[in-house]
Amino acid sequence: MNHGSVRKGAGNWLLERATAIALIPLTVWFVAALIAHTGSDYAALIAWLRKPFVAISMVLLLIALFWHTALGLGVVIKDYVHAINQRTVTLIAMRLVCFGLTAAGVVTVLGILFSG
Amino acid sequence: MDQDSTTPYSPANRLRPRSPNIQIYRPQLTSVLSIVNRISGVLLSVCALGLVIWLIAAAAGPQAYAVVREGIASWAGRAVLFVATFAFFMHLCGSLRHLIWDTVHGFSLRAIYLSGWIVFAASMVLTVAAWVTSAWIRR
Amino acid sequence: MSRQERETFVMIIRSPEQVPRFTMLKRFPLPRNFGVSRNSRIARGRAWPVLAGAVRVKAFDVYRYDPDSPENPRIDTYHVDLDDCGPMVLDALIWIKNKIDPTLTFRRSCREGICGSCSMNIDGTNWLACTRFIDDTDNTAMIYPLANMPIIKDLVGDQTHLFAQYAAIKPWLRTNTPEPARERLQSPQQRSKIDGYYECILCFCCTSGCPSHWWNGDRFLGPAVLLQAWRWLADSRDEATAERLDDMRGTFRLYGCHTILNCTRTCPKGLNPGKAIAETKRMMLEHRD
Repeated sequence: MNHGSVRKGAGNWLLERATAIALIPLTVWFVAALIAHTGSDYAALIAWLRKPFVAISMVLLLIALFWHTALGLGVVIKDYVHAINQRTVTLIAMRLVCFGLTAAGVVTVLGILFSG
Repeated sequence: MDQDSTTPYSPANRLRPRSPNIQIYRPQLTSVLSIVNRISGVLLSVCALGLVIWLIAAAAGPQAYAVVREGIASWAGRAVLFVATFAFFMHLCGSLRHLIWDTVHGFSLRAIYLSGWIVFAASMVLTVAAWVTSAWIRR
Repeated sequence: MSRQERETFVMIIRSPEQVPRFTMLKRFPLPRNFGVSRNSRIARGRAWPVLAGAVRVKAFDVYRYDPDSPENPRIDTYHVDLDDCGPMVLDALIWIKNKIDPTLTFRRSCREGICGSCSMNIDGTNWLACTRFIDDTDNTAMIYPLANMPIIKDLVGDQTHLFAQYAAIKPWLRTNTPEPARERLQSPQQRSKIDGYYECILCFCCTSGCPSHWWNGDRFLGPAVLLQAWRWLADSRDEATAERLDDMRGTFRLYGCHTILNCTRTCPKGLNPGKAIAETKRMMLEHRD
């Protein structure tokens, strides 16, 4: 008898792959940009972050990154934390942190974009 | 003997010792790359936190950003960044290998081992390439 | 596979019977009794004497456990006269039982790699004792029971839970249409879809070598069972595909597999549970809500 939602299995698995595929271009772009900007000063960095394309990509990166992180860490927690109550609490805490960091990151990027 | 000994969770089974698993099982390319993919993923989760901290420092102004920048430029910071880069490329290449498996390709033992060594080699090459490029840009 | 092909310095393994000559790590760098319950801790056992007149002698470290005594499991060392003994690890175990210690207990039957009885952990990997050459083992061969099993005695593990998981996937032909007058027909092409899956001998080398099954074996079905589940999903005569896929929903039953692939590496019959599970996951996608 399976009382769980079907999303727990196939849905979760598919989402992890979808966010991973989205992350490939986003992270490669970000790491390449970081390397290209080695040694730039603060003003150059802010100017770069203010470009609309960069700001949008950063927002997308943050969302995809923390979504994938939450899914991946969720799998790890479900594998290793067996006591059901501990597991539920850990999962909720982890997801809250990921959501909070996404929000913080997005707000920060938009803040840089729209300030000064 | 025990009538109850045939059920999995019988009292007899709880008394029976369990044969060793990870304590004696030989590390093979299959299991090692798999756990490295997981470990690198967890490390990258911490790096994601670092990314948000870096963004907040950038938004907070040049003084705050200078603190973060000094941290990254220090020897400890650069060592952490090097490990993070390697973890990133291992996880990226390992995940590409996983995505190929999800299309049900590359499951012959030869393909598994070949792709495994390619992932390891490519990650090392990419890490070195990234750092060399960065050093060259800085010069 | 010839002796030459089995011995290999090559890093790219072609076939599971290849035993690498050079190993960087014999075990993960963990304490010997890491996470082990008190009654499972392995103590040092006794060394049995070498028989007189033996010239070519090899040491075997064998896991022993006596359920009739309160002692913990231990490792006993036997010295086998290779000139008096057949070429396979099973021959060595039988020689030990005949000539040195009749209390050594292990499962065996066909001695030709088809019954699956003598599956055990040899030098850190799971294989059948009757198809593992003594020459392919380490200087001191380490013989343990299949990993992560409750031990009944010595090298005999309790496979009740594994067979219960096997029964749970209902490994028989399930049909709704009425029985035809003769056989349920299938073309040779349809029949070839179960090649590589029906040959499983249920030795459970794969399942007991799967780290995911070690940590979540109570819920994750494991590669052997999932390979058989795919065997029935792939069989064109079976009509319960939807029900079979439904039975595998949830976080652990099927999706406890994280494609570690120790299973494919260790199958003594050269089967591919990892691939079967990937095919099953693909079929599940077509079946998702």
